[in-house]
Amino acid sequence: MQMLHSYRLLVTWQALRKKNYLPLMLAVQTLFTLGIVLGYPLLFPTLDRAAIYLIATGAPAISMLSVGLVALPQTIGEQKTEGSLAYMRSLPVPRLAYLAADLTVWLAIVIPGVVLGVLVGAVRFGLDFQVSPLVVPAVLLVALTSACIGYAIASLLPYMLTVIITQAIVVFVFMFSPLTFLPSKLPAWFEVIHSILPIQAMGEVTRGTIAPNEFGLPLGAFVTLAVWCVLGFGVTYAAMSRRG
Amino acid sequence: MLLQIEELTKEYRTGTRANDGISLAIGEGEVFGLLGHNGAGKTTLVNQVVGLLRPTSGSIRIDGRDMVADPGLARRLCSFQAQAQVPIDGLTPRQAIDLLGQLRGGARADVQRRRERLIEALDLGEWLDVDAARLSGGVKRLVAFAMAAVVPGRVVMLDEPTNDVDPVRRRLLWRQVRTLADHGAAVLLVTHNVIEAERSVDRLAILDEGRVIAEGTPAELKGRLGAALRLELVLDPDAVELPASPFGLSAVPVGNRLMIGVPMDAAGQAVAWAESLKHTGSIEEFTLGPATLEDVYVALVGGSDAGPAHVEEVIDANAA
Ligand SMILES: Nc1ncnc2c1ncn2[C@@H]1O[C@H](COP(=O)(O)OP(=O)(O)OP(=O)(O)O)[C@@H](O)[C@H]1O
Ligand SMILES: [Mg+2]
Repeated sequence: MQMLHSYRLLVTWQALRKKNYLPLMLAVQTLFTLGIVLGYPLLFPTLDRAAIYLIATGAPAISMLSVGLVALPQTIGEQKTEGSLAYMRSLPVPRLAYLAADLTVWLAIVIPGVVLGVLVGAVRFGLDFQVSPLVVPAVLLVALTSACIGYAIASLLPYMLTVIITQAIVVFVFMFSPLTFLPSKLPAWFEVIHSILPIQAMGEVTRGTIAPNEFGLPLGAFVTLAVWCVLGFGVTYAAMSRRG
Repeated sequence: MLLQIEELTKEYRTGTRANDGISLAIGEGEVFGLLGHNGAGKTTLVNQVVGLLRPTSGSIRIDGRDMVADPGLARRLCSFQAQAQVPIDGLTPRQAIDLLGQLRGGARADVQRRRERLIEALDLGEWLDVDAARLSGGVKRLVAFAMAAVVPGRVVMLDEPTNDVDPVRRRLLWRQVRTLADHGAAVLLVTHNVIEAERSVDRLAILDEGRVIAEGTPAELKGRLGAALRLELVLDPDAVELPASPFGLSAVPVGNRLMIGVPMDAAGQAVAWAESLKHTGSIEEFTLGPATLEDVYVALVGGSDAGPAHVEEVIDANAA
């Protein structure tokens, strides 16, 4: 009861804090997702239909990962530096309610732009997605896992280190992760690494639920993501509860 | 006593010992001032009470209950105004105060009623529905105070609530602080404003490098200074030698001024002495007035060169 009461009030608080950036965030997310969907085919005009499908369905994962790994940890890092996170932590509310509220607002900011970007991309290339209803939990899980990992890094490490590490991860996501290409293109040992990391799994669940007719539903990827999500959340929860 | 702090020591991981064996007790209905130089350890103390920092050793009890063991309870029992600005950009004062009141467990209607009263008492009406991102620093700090006061805990911790606030509203603020205590809260208030603290707190402690170097009511602390009056000399910048005080009491240099404690019965003598100094050109001007808490503070924490010392030491040194 107290949990729900606090959660509701904290969602209001965090949403109001971010409301001025809402239109900007929506625009950035839409353009970012769209940029990937439209950009790759521009760079490589010879791409076949299968490759375009791959890109259009992998783009939302990239987009959500970049928010979770760049915008979010940067914001949390700033809140730590300026002391506002300490203030929020001094409120008489369950930590769980605070984290849940903060993550809710983050997801609400991220997801609409991603969806819009995918839709525009589909229309542009005339892709006929036979979207599965599982797309809802899939997108939520990808966004939540990205956010939890970013949150965990930012709440655990000092600001400067957070920036460096998250930037490195983003480069890894863009250049060396099977989101816009298939894992089979990777060297075998790299494939093994990606079968453990959550990045490939993010691509698989978005892909498998947006276009299940093309890629099939990977249940294993859902499990991998769930494990990472719980891990990220657990680390964040512990870090937020820790007294200096 | 409602809030009982014993032998509290906090050493940061960097090795800084920010609190070093602090013991304080604050009762219901009491406004307790915490003074001390920058970096003395005031915020460190406050943050331990509200459960943001874990003490290295020592105990914090509210109503006999252990706050170090149960920081969740500490957060419920204490309302808190932080030294840093509150994160309410995007919210209006109305929204921010109402949200905090409800988060502290107040019923919506009660919270609104109390918010209206606070807004009026602090004269913030014209900003009630303005986005906090556009508020001035002082108004924002008053809103932060209102957030801490709308549904007060049994203990209210205020870390520099008067910063950036204009003189008229500072008075309104002090009145509300007193009101909190009148309703039974134990109020701990950090401030650098010694003059206002003298008028407004029941008791105070002066912190120096993590230690309490003096504690008592403003009158007690002034009494320990041993001088009812204060002679302030504005030194001539060209004068080579500081005039030696003939009263055997504290003489503390502060910039180009010299503060000298003067016993009540030596007032005439002091004026005559100062006149003669002015005549010889070693001072530019002087004033004689009642000693204030600021004199105690300066005597203790020291002016420019004088290191920190206990009142007794200052007095002894000057008596020698
Ligand atoms: N997180 C921290 N890690 C390491 N040292 C710290 C930390 N926070 C404060 N300190 C150090 O502890 C000492 C006390 O700091 P504190 O903030 O408690 O002082 P303060 O009395 O509140 O000062 P001010 O009047 O400037 O607000 C200072 O030397 C400060 O540098
Ligand atoms: Mg401070």
